[in-house]
Amino acid sequence: MAAEGLMISRVALLRLAIIASTLLFWEALAESGLLFRDVVPSLFKIAHALGHLGANADFYANLSATAVEVGVSLAIGGSVGVAVGLLLGGSRLMGRAFEPYIHYLGPTPKIIFFPVMIMWFGIGPGSKIAMGAISCFFPVALITAAGMRQIDQVLIRVGRSFRASTWQMVTKIYFPALRHPLLNGLRLGFGVSVIGVLLAETKLSNRGLGFMVMQSYSQFDMPGMYALLLVVFSLAIMVNSLVSQLGGLEVPNH
Amino acid sequence: MATPVLRVENIVKRFVTGSASITAVDHVSFTVAQGEVLAIIGPSGCGKSTLFNVIGGLAGSDEGRVIVEGRTLSGPDPAIGMVFQEESTFPWRTVADNVAFPLEVAGVARTERLKRVHHYLELVGLKGFEQHHPAQLSGGMRQRVAIARTLAFGPKVLLMDEPFAALDEQTRLLLGDKVLQIQQALAQTTLLITHSIAEAVQLSDRVLVMTYRPGRVKRIVDIKLPRPRTAEIIGSKDFGLYVAEIWNDLRDEASLGMKDAEAKLPQAE
Ligand SMILES: Nc1ncnc2c1ncn2[C@@H]1O[C@H](COP(=O)(O)OP(=O)(O)OP(=O)(O)O)[C@@H](O)[C@H]1O
Ligand SMILES: [Mg+2]
Repeated sequence: MAAEGLMISRVALLRLAIIASTLLFWEALAESGLLFRDVVPSLFKIAHALGHLGANADFYANLSATAVEVGVSLAIGGSVGVAVGLLLGGSRLMGRAFEPYIHYLGPTPKIIFFPVMIMWFGIGPGSKIAMGAISCFFPVALITAAGMRQIDQVLIRVGRSFRASTWQMVTKIYFPALRHPLLNGLRLGFGVSVIGVLLAETKLSNRGLGFMVMQSYSQFDMPGMYALLLVVFSLAIMVNSLVSQLGGLEVPNH
Repeated sequence: MATPVLRVENIVKRFVTGSASITAVDHVSFTVAQGEVLAIIGPSGCGKSTLFNVIGGLAGSDEGRVIVEGRTLSGPDPAIGMVFQEESTFPWRTVADNVAFPLEVAGVARTERLKRVHHYLELVGLKGFEQHHPAQLSGGMRQRVAIARTLAFGPKVLLMDEPFAALDEQTRLLLGDKVLQIQQALAQTTLLITHSIAEAVQLSDRVLVMTYRPGRVKRIVDIKLPRPRTAEIIGSKDFGLYVAEIWNDLRDEASLGMKDAEAKLPQAE
């Protein structure tokens, strides 16, 4: 046990060392003047920009625009993904007929759909939500379908023998049995819908964090840009650990 | 015997795999009377589980009917409660919620549900474990949860497919005793599918011996041992005689099954 504790504290120490040396290297690079003005801005400048962001009402408006886009795209892409996954995983025929498409479309860069989405939904939040939803749909559908095939078949037979309706089967057996894949799907889906939304915002938009990043870039406000990236990065980590915690509240499996 | 509760008539079930068609169950008929325990015994692969699924309504049959109290069944029915060979408790539900499952599905009100859950958990000797999850219990306890859950469904006929198969010998004997007690307390009409001759003789009023492929009824043996029974009966002379008699019937079928299994193995030099 003591050795275990020592191990953990060593790991923590190493991690701290990695962060510290990265920051030091960054600062040294910034101070060296080797690179063009502000490509690698000093940490102090970034901290300053962060402070600015926090006092900027515009930032909160853009943040909430992006948050809403991600939330809605996750809800749409996630629920369609779960429904399609249930269907593909539940029916051998449907799975064999349709899954290859999803499998091969899944890893293609979704940004190629963006021009089409702009035509359909305009340059406002609609096209961003569409991009996030498309990105999120594929991993969620695939993970749900795979999870469906792993369900212990005897549990399905138990449900049928007690005359559970289709709705009861879904809510009382399929969903709880799929809790791990569904949480995983949620986590992955969240990650890719953030990517989809932000990417779309950087391409063509008039609000959102992605838009702000591009704005800072076009004004060559590098400290401001890095500050934004830091914010996006920390928010993503926060939400991810929140979802993981949701998974941590699980009862053990036998 | 009294009027039959369960009447199984001329069940035929075939499986088609590619070009070949095998008859798993071939014109099987029998009845089970109110409060009676009928054991079905036969070698591995003789069609016991197939018959189990047909009677439980989880699989259709090619011919024949399953009748409970004069009513021909189609599909899963409240009159039949199934206990499966495999581990079948819901791992995400507590013991109490597992037993409550069929009641929730049937829309039984909460207070009534709690009452019945309590009753059946007490019956199977799991009082005090209501809030445990299946992973925290032993295999024998989990199988008792599954039995309580099926009893809570309130079936006319309790249908069990090798319910003790996954358990070790001692647990199996103890659980057999428990099932016997419960069956006697409830006068529960029971159909027990088993591999074990001793289990069949210990628990049942009649033993139906099946043939190996196609699965037919070879013989039905009346077990005239006194009731109420306990595990002590295993030591008696009559018990031994019944076991020997059934083994006599079963031996040919079992060796047929074994030859089949050996034929499937890759040949040595
Ligand atoms: N879905 C199926 N498709 C094709 N053949 C099947 C199917 N289910 C069962 N069989 C075949 O039917 C026969 C009877 O199988 P069944 O599972 O009913 O036997 P069993 O008596 O329950 O065996 P065990 O004692 O090993 O559980 C076997 O030969 C099996 O291979
Ligand atoms: Mg079987």
